[in-house]
Amino acid sequence: MNSILEWFGYVAERYDDILETTWEHAQLVLVVIGVATTVAVLLGVYVQRRPTLRAMSLSITGIFLTIPSLAFFAFFIPVFGIGNRPAIVAMILYALLPILRNTVTGLDAVPPAVVESAKGMGMGTMRQLFQIKLPLAWPIMMAGVRIASLITVGIAAIAVLVGGDGLGSYIQSGLTRLGLPNSEFSVWTGVVFTVLLGLVLDAMWATIQRFTTTKGQRI
Amino acid sequence: MSPDAKIRLDHVEKTYPGTKVPAVESLSLEVYEGEILVLVGPSGCGKSTTLRLINRMIEPTGGRIYLDDEDVTKVNADKLRRRIGYVIQQIGLFPHQTIAQNIATVPKMLGWDKAKVAERIDRLLTVVGLDPDTYRDRYPKELSGGQAQRVGVARALGADPEIMLMDEPFGAIDPITRDRLQNEFLSVQEDLRKTIVFVTHDIDEAIKMGDRIAILGDRSHIRQIDTPERILAFPVDDFVRDFIGEGSTLKGLHFETVDEHVTLEPYPTMHVGEDPTAAVARAREAGTDWVLLLDDQEHPTRWVPVSDLGGGSTVSSDSGSEVVAKVSLGATLFEALEQMLISEAAVSPVVREDGSFYGVVRLTHLNKAIRRARLEAREHYAQLEATS
Amino acid sequence: MSMTGAQGRIGYEGQEKDNPEPPPDPNTGSDATDAAPTEQPASWFLRAREMNLGLKLAPVAIALLGLGLFLYYRSLGLGTTAPSSQTSALEWSTKLWPQLTQHLTIAFWSTIIVVVIAIPLGIALTREPLRRYGPAFVSTANAGQALPAYGLLIIFLTLMGQGLTTVVVALAVYALLPVLRNTMVGLDGVDRGIIEAGRGMGMTRGQVLTRIELPLAVPVILAGIRVAMILNIGMATLAFLIGGGGLGVTISVGLKLQQNEVLLVGSTLVAIVALSFDWVGAVAEKYLRPRGV
Repeated sequence: MNSILEWFGYVAERYDDILETTWEHAQLVLVVIGVATTVAVLLGVYVQRRPTLRAMSLSITGIFLTIPSLAFFAFFIPVFGIGNRPAIVAMILYALLPILRNTVTGLDAVPPAVVESAKGMGMGTMRQLFQIKLPLAWPIMMAGVRIASLITVGIAAIAVLVGGDGLGSYIQSGLTRLGLPNSEFSVWTGVVFTVLLGLVLDAMWATIQRFTTTKGQRI
Repeated sequence: MSPDAKIRLDHVEKTYPGTKVPAVESLSLEVYEGEILVLVGPSGCGKSTTLRLINRMIEPTGGRIYLDDEDVTKVNADKLRRRIGYVIQQIGLFPHQTIAQNIATVPKMLGWDKAKVAERIDRLLTVVGLDPDTYRDRYPKELSGGQAQRVGVARALGADPEIMLMDEPFGAIDPITRDRLQNEFLSVQEDLRKTIVFVTHDIDEAIKMGDRIAILGDRSHIRQIDTPERILAFPVDDFVRDFIGEGSTLKGLHFETVDEHVTLEPYPTMHVGEDPTAAVARAREAGTDWVLLLDDQEHPTRWVPVSDLGGGSTVSSDSGSEVVAKVSLGATLFEALEQMLISEAAVSPVVREDGSFYGVVRLTHLNKAIRRARLEAREHYAQLEATS
Repeated sequence: MSMTGAQGRIGYEGQEKDNPEPPPDPNTGSDATDAAPTEQPASWFLRAREMNLGLKLAPVAIALLGLGLFLYYRSLGLGTTAPSSQTSALEWSTKLWPQLTQHLTIAFWSTIIVVVIAIPLGIALTREPLRRYGPAFVSTANAGQALPAYGLLIIFLTLMGQGLTTVVVALAVYALLPVLRNTMVGLDGVDRGIIEAGRGMGMTRGQVLTRIELPLAVPVILAGIRVAMILNIGMATLAFLIGGGGLGVTISVGLKLQQNEVLLVGSTLVAIVALSFDWVGAVAEKYLRPRGV
């Protein structure tokens, strides 16, 4: 109990710095999610009705997700050097599968009768996509984004090992100063704020999802 | 208490925790050996709950349940259920087991030896109309809905229980298959004579399947329990009348047959080559416009209008029009009515088993039969009231 | 009638906090047709049916990576033209091979611990009277995805000190939730009608669990174990941070010495290990699922 209070004191002292680091961490995640969503949604729309491409893209993005993060980050150092960049590239590749998967699933879930009647009313392919299919698939796609966001928040803490920013720096400084005063508080700060950031971002996506879904689709 | 009550519910109650109104309130009910008792009622009336109280899938909160006069309210529920066949709408075949393994479930739990189980599986598959060699080793996902339901029934019959509980067993099946499965089940039941409690929300299914029907209202109150013919002839109150719905009189015709109860009238007939004058005279006497032409074996063949018989010439085998509609002795009055509606002479000829002419059914017969059934039912209920 | 697609899609359920599942209403009684729960087994790792292609694609990827690594390793000129630090960092018999076995040992034990704890716990949390706590665990499992593996490892270091045991325990804690969650989702996903039929025939609760629920939940539980295994192999890469060894050592040496050659060999080797085990897991999932499902 005492040490929890002490930890609060530790956090209060470094409030500005912690928030700044959290913001760095959030930026990493937002960039990754932004790029990954764009790529995965475009890819998903393109491959959904093309079985071979669809299976290939799902398998390959699945393989990315299997590769241990530190190894994947390190893999890109020869190309991008030390820093945020190798981490961002690797995390974008990680985030692809959840979003791609849910885009495809969401589009699958659009009732054929709805598409059929849209076609019957003379809607062109693009109009069908933007007025019918994507809005109907949206909640499932957003669910994919939320999963990707959670994963990315957790993994981004490792970016510090390849010279990147983010809350991992608190964990690392705790590790390097282990045994010295406050080192454990530093580690806890890194962990707690990472999880908090994950939850805040998740709530944010949930809110966005809520306000971008028509009433007819809310259950 | 009737001596042959196989299942007896004695003031059974079910109140769910946290609710004040019981789902089933003080229900007393007897199911006789070898009969199909149908529980029918609007959705939410508690008929399924009632059924599930019998095998204690739901534990009653009051009252007693007897099987063969044995109080089973507190016996081990799992062992109790192994004695009772159970068929549900979702069927619930085990997808990871073959058809044979599915059917063997209860016999195995009861410790039957392998040879006996194998023999039983084949017999049951045959009983429900599936070829054992084809279906034994299949998995449920390889079956159509109708086939799965047959397997469901076979599985419930697994250890040859004396009692079967069926909860809307044909509810999820398309109408044509359902009709066939109902008929097959009825003919299987004719041999097996199980004691069956059958739940449905469909009054027509109830009328078709039930030896007796219990119409349930809220909280599983029995509004009327009787044979389908009596319920159709004499619904005791507006609730039952509404539930039976339109056309109950017509449905009642299903339970009246063309037999000794329906005193058939003679009808003017003649044979090929016979002098028409006598036939015309008979028709005049009977007050009909038609004469029925019979062949050598006394089979009705053609309707000949009296007006065609005036010239004194003999009738040939192509006079008048062909008899397209007739019923056999023992057919229901419903069938007779249908034939009557398409018959030239507005009556339905009745033939014996060998096809020979027996008599005709007229609209007045139906009218009489229905009124007699209503009267009987009313008297029955008057008597019941007097004795109670 | 059958189970909902066991190999499932990327799950999103349990995150829909705005529409919690309504509790069963006893008032509606029995006549309420119980709609089979359509909950999908949920994990970002689960693959859909078309991922069967992954079964064929993965070996190709693994073989290509392996061949590339082999050729690259030979071209480095270790012991001859390569710097001596590189040679010593990448020596097979004294560095890479022991690290590999260490890596797999860590992942193996933590996966075993996860299985031994999470499956019984998942069973308990889908039974009365613990059932009502289940959803809380599923949501925690969801949020747990944001837990930084790195930080968790260091926390356990502060609690238990350096060494293999610490690594194994930390990994087990990290990988526990996916298996727990999949066990619960898999058991809950079994069609109520099937369980009802089993109970109605007089199976005891135990018989229904062992003969019906668990066999039918096997595909989903296996998928969870596979996720745990891959998480563990991934996290074992960080074991070097607290003196647990593993292939992460080579990667860290590469980072420290700023030698891309060492980095590449280390990370490729880790990737090959992860992909191989994931593939084995996928094959096992395919062949261990009960027939007929």
